[in-house]
Amino acid sequence: MFEELRAIQRQFGYLSGEQLQSLATKIDAPLSQIHAVASFYPHFHLTPPARAEIRICADMSCHLRGGSELKAGVEKAFRGASPDEVSICDVSCLGRCDQAPALAINDQIYGDADVGLATSLVRGALSSGQLPPERRDRVRTPVASDPYSGSPNYSVVRNFVETRDWQGVLAALKASGLRGMGGAGFPTGNKWELVRSASLSPKSVSSKAPPQKYIVCNADESEPGTIKDRFIMEAVPYLVIEGMILAGLVTGARQGFLYIRHEYETPRDVLQEEIDRCYRAGLLGSQILGSDLTFDLEIFVSPGGYICGEESALLEAMEGKRSEPRNKPPFPGINGLWNQPTVINNVETFAFATVILARGTEWFKAQGMNGATGMKFVGISGDVNRPGVFEVPMGTKYSELIQKYAGGVLGNRALLAFAPSGPSSGYLPASMADLPLDWNALAAAGSMVGSGAIIVCAEGRCMLDMALNAVRFYRNESCGKCVPCRVGSQKMVEMLTGWTQGLASQGDLVLLDELSNAMRLTSICGLGQIAPAPIASVLKHFRDVVDEHIVHRRCPAGVCLQQRGTA
Amino acid sequence: MSSNATASIQLTIDGTPVSVPAGTTIFDAARLNGIPIPTLCHQQNENPVGVCRVCVVDIGQRVYAASCIRQAEAGMTVKTSTEPVLAARHTLVELLMSEHPSPCARQQHSGDCELEQLAAAAGIEQSRFPQRAAPRGKDDSSAVIAVDHEACILCDRCIRGCDDIRDNWVLARRGKGYQAGISFDNNLPMGESSCVSCGECMVSCPTGALTTKRVVGTELGRGEVLDPAELLHLPIFENVSGTFLELNQKAVVKRRFRAGEVICREGEFGSTAFYILEGTAEVFLSSPIAHVKTEGSSHGFFSRLKSMLAPRDEHARSEESARPFIPIDASVDLPYDNPIAQLNPGDLFGEMTCMSYYPRSATVRAQTDCVMLEMLRNVLDILQRNKTFRAQLERNYRQRALDSHLRGVPVFATLTPDFIGHLRDRVELVRFNPGQVICRQGEVADSFYLVRIGFVKVSEERPGGDLVLAYLARGGYFGEIALLTGSPRTATCTALDHVEVVRIAGEDFRLMLDRFPEVRHSLETIAHERLDANRLRATQVQNVPIDQFLANGLMEAQSLLVLDLDRCTRCDQCVRACADAHDGVSRLVREGVRFDKYLVATSCRQCRDPLCMVGCPVGSIRRRNSLEVIIEDWCIGCGLCASNCPYGNINLHPFPVELDDPVMPGRKIASTRVKATSCDLCHDHEEPSCVYACPHDAAHRVNPPEFFAGVLKQSNPLKSNPPKR
Repeated sequence: MFEELRAIQRQFGYLSGEQLQSLATKIDAPLSQIHAVASFYPHFHLTPPARAEIRICADMSCHLRGGSELKAGVEKAFRGASPDEVSICDVSCLGRCDQAPALAINDQIYGDADVGLATSLVRGALSSGQLPPERRDRVRTPVASDPYSGSPNYSVVRNFVETRDWQGVLAALKASGLRGMGGAGFPTGNKWELVRSASLSPKSVSSKAPPQKYIVCNADESEPGTIKDRFIMEAVPYLVIEGMILAGLVTGARQGFLYIRHEYETPRDVLQEEIDRCYRAGLLGSQILGSDLTFDLEIFVSPGGYICGEESALLEAMEGKRSEPRNKPPFPGINGLWNQPTVINNVETFAFATVILARGTEWFKAQGMNGATGMKFVGISGDVNRPGVFEVPMGTKYSELIQKYAGGVLGNRALLAFAPSGPSSGYLPASMADLPLDWNALAAAGSMVGSGAIIVCAEGRCMLDMALNAVRFYRNESCGKCVPCRVGSQKMVEMLTGWTQGLASQGDLVLLDELSNAMRLTSICGLGQIAPAPIASVLKHFRDVVDEHIVHRRCPAGVCLQQRGTA
Repeated sequence: MSSNATASIQLTIDGTPVSVPAGTTIFDAARLNGIPIPTLCHQQNENPVGVCRVCVVDIGQRVYAASCIRQAEAGMTVKTSTEPVLAARHTLVELLMSEHPSPCARQQHSGDCELEQLAAAAGIEQSRFPQRAAPRGKDDSSAVIAVDHEACILCDRCIRGCDDIRDNWVLARRGKGYQAGISFDNNLPMGESSCVSCGECMVSCPTGALTTKRVVGTELGRGEVLDPAELLHLPIFENVSGTFLELNQKAVVKRRFRAGEVICREGEFGSTAFYILEGTAEVFLSSPIAHVKTEGSSHGFFSRLKSMLAPRDEHARSEESARPFIPIDASVDLPYDNPIAQLNPGDLFGEMTCMSYYPRSATVRAQTDCVMLEMLRNVLDILQRNKTFRAQLERNYRQRALDSHLRGVPVFATLTPDFIGHLRDRVELVRFNPGQVICRQGEVADSFYLVRIGFVKVSEERPGGDLVLAYLARGGYFGEIALLTGSPRTATCTALDHVEVVRIAGEDFRLMLDRFPEVRHSLETIAHERLDANRLRATQVQNVPIDQFLANGLMEAQSLLVLDLDRCTRCDQCVRACADAHDGVSRLVREGVRFDKYLVATSCRQCRDPLCMVGCPVGSIRRRNSLEVIIEDWCIGCGLCASNCPYGNINLHPFPVELDDPVMPGRKIASTRVKATSCDLCHDHEEPSCVYACPHDAAHRVNPPEFFAGVLKQSNPLKSNPPKR
């Protein structure tokens, strides 16, 4: 479906009603269903787009690094331009948080952008129709835990083909304590075991899909601040691929898909090269390494949207539908892709599964510090001197991560707050920076390690503004399937926008509390459930800042009130 | 059946141990045990989707479960109405109410909007959340269902009704997040979509987002009201929602007519269509097929003139139609020489009367005892979208009407039966809604069209506004110029009302031209004439002074009778002369709009947008190339054109006629029939009688652009441009 839609868009620039109709005839699907899908993904244009379409990110990291000012500057530079020529709009996190602010011009992404760069690129696009490629560094950063030190021999898969010791693999994973690194932290060994023992569903949902189990790698990281998977895929693609092959061999799945966000072109190329290499080396395909084992792997490019990272919504997208989360249970382990048992793990989880099997459980556990076990890739962005992705021992203190790895707070300012995992974790005050990178410690603090998307706010930021920014992201990315998230996230944005404009009403705090409870308890998926977290954390840790806004109608940081944000 | 399916499980709901079959949802488990859980998106005949979340219950987990979709599990402890659960539900309803126009259409009509009922039960009068700022709009395009997106809560019940229950797949969600909504096909207005008006979406909708349209007069006063079950038994109502038929119950009735009984009369106004279930009927015109002929006298203009009725073989007028068939509002056309035909079971008549409220085009009389369905517009729309009915209608058309319809157009008179046979299976019947564009100026041409039902406006886009070139009624055709010349469309053709056209593909049209050179020749001649006339009009339109006179519509006129009030003594000689010239019926009234010292008298202004032509049930009024109106012989005297003319310039002229006595067949009785007439510029005479008659030289017939241009320049246009004598 998406390949067809992309092909039409490439040829005609947009998806006209006529083209959708002929696609409906071609693939024998109702026009209404095709339109339902095409209109769901902002990547698809249903009307002719402007010749230069500028989309500017203003989510958390980019917001901290001037994304909103960049947008205002670009708007000023092209004021009066014909809407057929230039359009300027928001875009959700592009996954370039270490190069904030980022923007996209006609789907070509540029990091470290400023008004000068944007205007010269747009002028170029308008005059020549050409845009220079994104700076794509292909330098492979060495990864300390890489058992192959950059030269993979796929010893884990080779070993498994020899021994077929699936019990050993599951035992090792369980013993290592490896958890899902996408944010939810479900024990990986248990997940693989569940899928291994699950029986195929007799209810096939598609004639195109034979009844078989599936392995899916979720490389759709789209949450503000989350950039670690991009790094892993570029640096150690073989660890990810080997982890997927291993999962397939252990669970009996013969088909794998690597679901990657469409904005990740470099990692996609790197992975494809590695997949091709594996096929040539007999590590993928039928008769792996001469055995009777089969596993095929292909890349599935996401049509786009944060919600696609929600595992059941991701499966819906893979089935060519609107990416709306399913009601659970049943979980994907039993009823996953095409209703069949499916392992879905994050990029980092597959990579660490390989590391654990190659280096041993004991090695992995020994990597942690301060009582925690294992390693973790974290992305640190926002107000830091050296934003980037770092491979760190679990248990490292957040203060150390910010100071030692990310070069400290930008401009020698004091630390005000940090989000341990993008908008989902909420914000923690500087006083809690000595917390260790540890699942339990963060949970106890009312936050979470999540995907390790650490976003740093320096002194001088307004935490209410940051909460609004995070909630707005959820509102923008809500799929709209269920009422609490679709309507609730909008009302929350409207209320918080009012607060930042000095327009709080009596009873707002009570209403916000009721709304937050309803969203957290009744939303179908994690997006709606977690959307109240940013403002809840700010109310908890920065209550005085909120009170200043709603009681005294002033912003202590001087960020809000004079600006009129867009709800 | 496996043993699992019948196994029971035990769980606790609100402290009560209950036992239900495995696989039962929590919602059903509670319901079966007398514990109702509120919901909006769930109903028993549809698969649950769990999107409104109103039915959430506490099952002791981190988050609540939507009871409609969550299966009960053994040992589960379910709490359906704890304080926090009630609070969460309250918030959900309050959120929805902030996005809901209260009272919505359903609440207003029947007081049963499920959302508003829940809100009332929860004591929510005014939502504390800010009201929705961005409007979502209404869609009034369907004839039977009103769509109010503002009232939609996106429960997906309509979508499941359309897709899963009826297998129609017209409805789906569109957009994402807060911008999501329901949409028909690719977000088309409902009336333009492939919707079959089965009504399932409407009966599924919990709010006023989809409601039955309550058009004026949705009830028929006479006839036998049918049970929906009886209607559903008929193939032509296949797949329509029973509830929907119930809502429209009195809009369709069964009527029985005895042989000889008149079912409807030409010229009568009406709002229903008839579908023949049993028996046959004859359809005919009882009006004389003739036009008003005014005979001049050799003794000068002031002698009394005589108007009489004359058929075209006796008195042919220039540009009069030579059609062998008269188009009527039924599945057949009537021969000019003997305007009568038979209607059979499965035939429909009165479509245009019903859809667009035009007068009846012909008289229908039961030939045998008949059983008919008489229906109003909402029911006819349901039928029109029914596949079985459409197939039947098209089959009838291809077999019985295509022939006469094509041959009714003089240029096609020479087509051979084998070629019409070739076209029979290849033509396509396409429907358009009011305002829909059939083909657009500048587009590449791919088809030729014959109008079967309704009126098509042919207009040309010009700077300063569209120019209406023609209104085409049944029997009219368009699209030939671009196909003949291979150039893009020269005009835009828009459906003025409910239009159905017969589409002949470009390749078949070209095949016809190749096989029938005489058809090509006549088409080319007519195309040239049409193009020339358009060009002429274009030059007339140029240099139009823009002033308040446009508002009066005077500039719309191609020629006007003006009276110079300085000279006019109100002697009414002009009016009398006109009456004298037209058998005592004056077509001129010495009243009208004043401008400066001129009075614009009312007489046909040969408007550029001739509204009089819209709605003629038999298509007997049209324009000559000279832009004058001509009324063809088969005028049935319904008077619609007269009432449509904004200037009151079409009059009805009564004539005595002899008709068959309905009581004593074979006997004739004297009666009166009317024929429409309009100012014909007295073209039998050198100059209009009225102008000639004016003893004060106050009456003049002028060309408005030139005339008003002169007046605006403060000169006397009559002096500088004296009328020709």
